[in-house]
Amino acid sequence: MNQQSSFGPVPASISRRAVLGAGGAASLALLLAACSPGGGGSTASQPLKFWNMPWGPTSFLNEDKRIVAGYKPASGFGVAQYRQVQWANFTQTFATAVASNTGPAVSSGGGTQAFSFESEGKIAYADDLLAAWKKNGIYDDFLPGLVDSLKTKNGYAAVPYNLDVRLLWYNKALLESVGATPPTDWTSFEAVCKALKAKGIYGYGTYSGAGGATGQHTLVSHMINNGGGLFDADQNPNCVTPENIEAMDWVLGLVKNGYVDPRAASYTPANAYTQMNDKKFGMIWDSSGTPSQVDAATASDLVVADPLVGPSGKKGTLFFPNNIMMYKNAPSQAASEAFLTYYYQNMKSLWTKKTGIGLPPLKSIASAAFADDPNTTKIIDSWQPIGKTFGAPGQDTVFLNLAKADGTQPMFNFAQSILSGSTTAKDALAALQKALTSA
Amino acid sequence: MSIGTVAERLQQARRGVGVSGRRPGTVRSRGDRTPLGRARGTLALFAIPSLLLLVLLNVFPVGYAIIQSVQDGTPSTLPTEAPFVGFANYVNVVTSAQFLHAALFTLAFTICGVFGSWIIGMAFALLLRTRIPANAAFKVLLLLPWIVPVVVSATAWNWLVATPQSPLPVALSAIGVTNANFLGDPVLAQIVVIIFKVWISFPFMMMMMSSALASVDLNVYEAAKIDGATQWQALTGVTLPIVSRTTYISWVLMTIFCVNDFPTIFLLTQGGPVNATTSLIVLAYQAAFQDQQTGPATAIAILMTVVLVIVSTVLYRQIKKVNIE
Repeated sequence: MNQQSSFGPVPASISRRAVLGAGGAASLALLLAACSPGGGGSTASQPLKFWNMPWGPTSFLNEDKRIVAGYKPASGFGVAQYRQVQWANFTQTFATAVASNTGPAVSSGGGTQAFSFESEGKIAYADDLLAAWKKNGIYDDFLPGLVDSLKTKNGYAAVPYNLDVRLLWYNKALLESVGATPPTDWTSFEAVCKALKAKGIYGYGTYSGAGGATGQHTLVSHMINNGGGLFDADQNPNCVTPENIEAMDWVLGLVKNGYVDPRAASYTPANAYTQMNDKKFGMIWDSSGTPSQVDAATASDLVVADPLVGPSGKKGTLFFPNNIMMYKNAPSQAASEAFLTYYYQNMKSLWTKKTGIGLPPLKSIASAAFADDPNTTKIIDSWQPIGKTFGAPGQDTVFLNLAKADGTQPMFNFAQSILSGSTTAKDALAALQKALTSA
Repeated sequence: MSIGTVAERLQQARRGVGVSGRRPGTVRSRGDRTPLGRARGTLALFAIPSLLLLVLLNVFPVGYAIIQSVQDGTPSTLPTEAPFVGFANYVNVVTSAQFLHAALFTLAFTICGVFGSWIIGMAFALLLRTRIPANAAFKVLLLLPWIVPVVVSATAWNWLVATPQSPLPVALSAIGVTNANFLGDPVLAQIVVIIFKVWISFPFMMMMMSSALASVDLNVYEAAKIDGATQWQALTGVTLPIVSRTTYISWVLMTIFCVNDFPTIFLLTQGGPVNATTSLIVLAYQAAFQDQQTGPATAIAILMTVVLVIVSTVLYRQIKKVNIE
């Protein structure tokens, strides 16, 4: 007996050859589609792809999508299509998309991403956009020094979007419990640490384990605080300098004196915040978002310290101008610029609705969103102006070589060796110099 | 064609003659076109889409990786854009201290992971063979480390050992061992990572060995007992030889799992402190996604593949030998 398909008999008019032919044609079509380059022949009326990162939890995504959905393009320009790219392997996501000409017209991304693509000729410079923004007031609304931090010798690779600053938080209740006053310089910081240690509390809170690049950022911020940093004026690594050695000797002294948790080298962010909640960290070097990471009782005790004065009398810290870039492979640069102008004129709610995004780049948003928040106001007023990029002391800008340092394994090794006290300042910096130079 | 009796059919089968009347392997004459023979060409055409997919999904990535390994590229450069550097990536990788350290750690991680999980898995498999109450419930509980997502396991192990207030340091300090820095001390971090690997892997070994033990005839133990064998002699002289085929297969699989294990290490220590727990796969990840150097990264990956193929071949030969014996 012939077996019949449970989906019904195959009509007699369809032959095996026809099925094979259809299958072959479908395979060929798929193959050609996979091999053909995308994105060619763009016109301004095509949809404009905007890819943004998860700068905050779901509330950020919802609000950001709402803003983008509200974009009504002028005649001749296409609508904006929104996509959120996850941080996991985002470099690969952008790299493959841009290489195959299927990437976005406008995007945010990693701090040095724009410079990486700029070196490959994929970026549309923002000079014309910034010139237009000088006329409509957006340019003058940027916090000081931000726009120029994204300038290359060929033009502006991106525009500032949100900021991240490394700064010092202290637990007011814990400092009061040991009779200490908030530190203002390196010497008084050590004194507070000593007082906290008497009660079994670590004064220098940090973390440099899995997922914790803040530990390495903090060490660089100390170097900048002392007039040092990792890169010279030619944008090359220059780690073994007297300023850097002095700064790292200071940290190693803190480690030796027991002011740093010996496990901090391997702490994840969650471990560090647990130590905050358990009142084992009296102070922590972190970002502006620390209160949202600890429990409510601890958060209510957290206060932003004044920037510390280093032994050379200088102030300084590390900051990250996260940015938005435009790509050459776009419906048109005019369409990208029109969209970005709309976005910057309407993105205020990302901060006023507390969606979790970093500090705002515009003064008007900072004053509208954080007037009743003394800690954030202090960060914007006191810490942001003294901030320098990873390119310090040689440069005030972001550039491609920084990708060799920020969040990379040589930096993790450097931070872990310093925070575990298993090295000398000079040896650790020399090892870092060697690793960054060979990368 | 005559149908023939059942007895004739059995005779044919014993002689190795197929239903069609020919012996398997005999050459078909040009004019001998059976329906199956005529369909052969059509069947081959039907296989083409699947073969195309196979090539696209398996052969293409491997070929692409080999090309990348002899180029000086980044994740965003295409093979047509990246400069050819020959075997420079392989030479640089193999002669670097980082690679040597990672290779040694991978070796230790794999040896301990394979044999540690096998010993524990075998022990539990033997235990579960005895009549104990709630046997099935124990089996499910013992499988949990394998079933639970490694992200959850890694978070749990971090909670267990990371801070001074974690349960294990607290328990140790109660017996006088203070300041145990499990993830911050390089040697202790290596030990923790290896134990973690054994812990998540032993249920797999337990399942493999349980299934092998289930096929062992209990009469052989009776015979061994009559011959005066002790329990240890029964284990080493009867049980292990009988389950040796499964044992070798499980070793092959676990060797591959260990060498290619990225999440276990990365989620717990990210390769630290100071590269102490960086294995070859973690090193390849760092080269590709942190240093943006796809050449050295793919060179490491291909070297790993070559080593795994050699190890697997040796173990498979051992399996073949067992089969023959």
